[in-house]
Amino acid sequence: MPLISKKDVAHLAQLARLKLSDAEADKLSGDLEEIVAYFKELESIDTSGVVPVAGGTDLTNVFREDEAGTSDDGGKGADQFPDKSGGLLKVPNIF
Amino acid sequence: MITLHGLTLQNFASGLREGKFSAREIIKEFFDYIKERDGVIGAYLSLDEDGALKAAEAADKAIAAGGNISPLLGAPIAIKDNMLIEGLSATAGSKILKDYRAAYDATVIKKLKKAGAVFLGKTNMDEFAMGSSTENSAFQLTKNPHDTKRVPGGSSGGSAAAVAGHMAIAGLGSDTGGSIREPASFCGVVGLKPTYGAVSRHGLIAMASSLDQIGPLTKTVRDAALLFREISGRDSMDATSADTAYGTELLEPELQKIKGLRVGLPKEFFGSGLSDEVSKTMDEAIASLKSLGVAFKEVSLPHAKYALSCYYIIMPAEVSSNLARFDGIRYAAGGRNGKQSDNLLERYLETRGEGFGPEVRRRVLLGTFVLSSGYYDAYYVKAQKVRRLMGQDFDKAFGDVDVIMGPVCPTSAFKIGERTDDPLAMYLSDILTIPANLAGLPAVSIPGRGAKGLPVGFQLIGRHFREADILGLGEYYERLASA
Repeated sequence: MPLISKKDVAHLAQLARLKLSDAEADKLSGDLEEIVAYFKELESIDTSGVVPVAGGTDLTNVFREDEAGTSDDGGKGADQFPDKSGGLLKVPNIF
Repeated sequence: MITLHGLTLQNFASGLREGKFSAREIIKEFFDYIKERDGVIGAYLSLDEDGALKAAEAADKAIAAGGNISPLLGAPIAIKDNMLIEGLSATAGSKILKDYRAAYDATVIKKLKKAGAVFLGKTNMDEFAMGSSTENSAFQLTKNPHDTKRVPGGSSGGSAAAVAGHMAIAGLGSDTGGSIREPASFCGVVGLKPTYGAVSRHGLIAMASSLDQIGPLTKTVRDAALLFREISGRDSMDATSADTAYGTELLEPELQKIKGLRVGLPKEFFGSGLSDEVSKTMDEAIASLKSLGVAFKEVSLPHAKYALSCYYIIMPAEVSSNLARFDGIRYAAGGRNGKQSDNLLERYLETRGEGFGPEVRRRVLLGTFVLSSGYYDAYYVKAQKVRRLMGQDFDKAFGDVDVIMGPVCPTSAFKIGERTDDPLAMYLSDILTIPANLAGLPAVSIPGRGAKGLPVGFQLIGRHFREADILGLGEYYERLASA
């Protein structure tokens, strides 16, 4: 029984919002199987009582002051929206 | 007139000040040479000749006006295409950003603009920096300037090839698991991955946020120090950036201090699997540094051998999260006015299925897998714990030594196409560079002299925020050659 079947790949692809062809789902199931098998080596390491590293730094709570402000870029970010209306991002119907 | 091939940031700056040439002349010459040569190499994805010439003219005016002049004034630099320069494209090597134009400057760009640097263009890279050969670019291959049948390394292969191919004096790359150091080694240039937090990532298209760092690719160690000092520093736009000040020792290392550094050789970095040329490079570099009076000692990093597993769990997990924003709503493969489905789920599936290349899809899926319930503890949390142990290995080693030295990559540049069908073989290229990323340590690839033929670099890893140690050692190694 493979750890990551083609059916699992299809499910993961749906979760990750990726459309995959049948052939690619096949190939990826083999690839992931091989890669995840490599991870097995981690099982042999005793990690009891070890605190996981979350993030790349031990700095905590580095926040800017929470001040209201206005964007000074004249809405340039919105220029790149694929579809917009009156400077606002246009999205398809959700419901 | 000196040729482009002989230019470093340092001698460009002195030549400019002494009036040997104008910035405009040199920039023009670079574009002429790029047009002649880059058809073969493929280092650049886009050029900004108009913007660069304007910046060069401004630099020439500043020189004429005199006063306090930055060492980077007028300097022609190549920028990896995952960093934003306002008004220019920033594809990150992906079809999904083919038509995207940056709305603002990345912090590193802002700093370099302030210093008067000139950006020649944006360089090729593996899509979203995922790869070790630049073959995963959605747009083109980049060839190694030393042998055009071979890869330049990756993912910052375009910047490394531009510098090695004399199509820029220096470049910026980004390094998540070796993406500055491996191409530096393959192309025979200096590549520095700074300490995690030393350089702001604001305006860098994120790959794996707990690992990514921006750094320089240059022809000399001194140039790397110059460029690094200019881009480093705390930035309120990047919460992981640290408040550090790098003093003069970065640019003017003292031989007495450098000689006194103790260098550790981790036995895990010298196992089987190193090619003959890599072994020779290490032998020569160690002998050279010994001749300076540097003391060597064997150290152990017992968890280093798990680095690859650890990395290929943590990195894809962060990738799957960071790349969720490329959804067809804010960014679309078809660009503006592209045809898109009116159904939201269909739009997501289509945009991401078509816009992302095979390696990106593979890593997004892998990341989704290790984060999914039932596997989260077994893979993701386990890897985070092993990452802690790896950091502790380094802490322990740095109790005995000041710098750790090893190879950058087990081989020199491999042939184009050689590893594209086997993702695991490609991933193994990063096995010696990943530990520094997982531990957030600064690491540099310095071109060695021990191998004949293709370039091979060696790696120096320092304590957190001790770039001065590794660059200082590198600089004295470099000076031995020219002596």
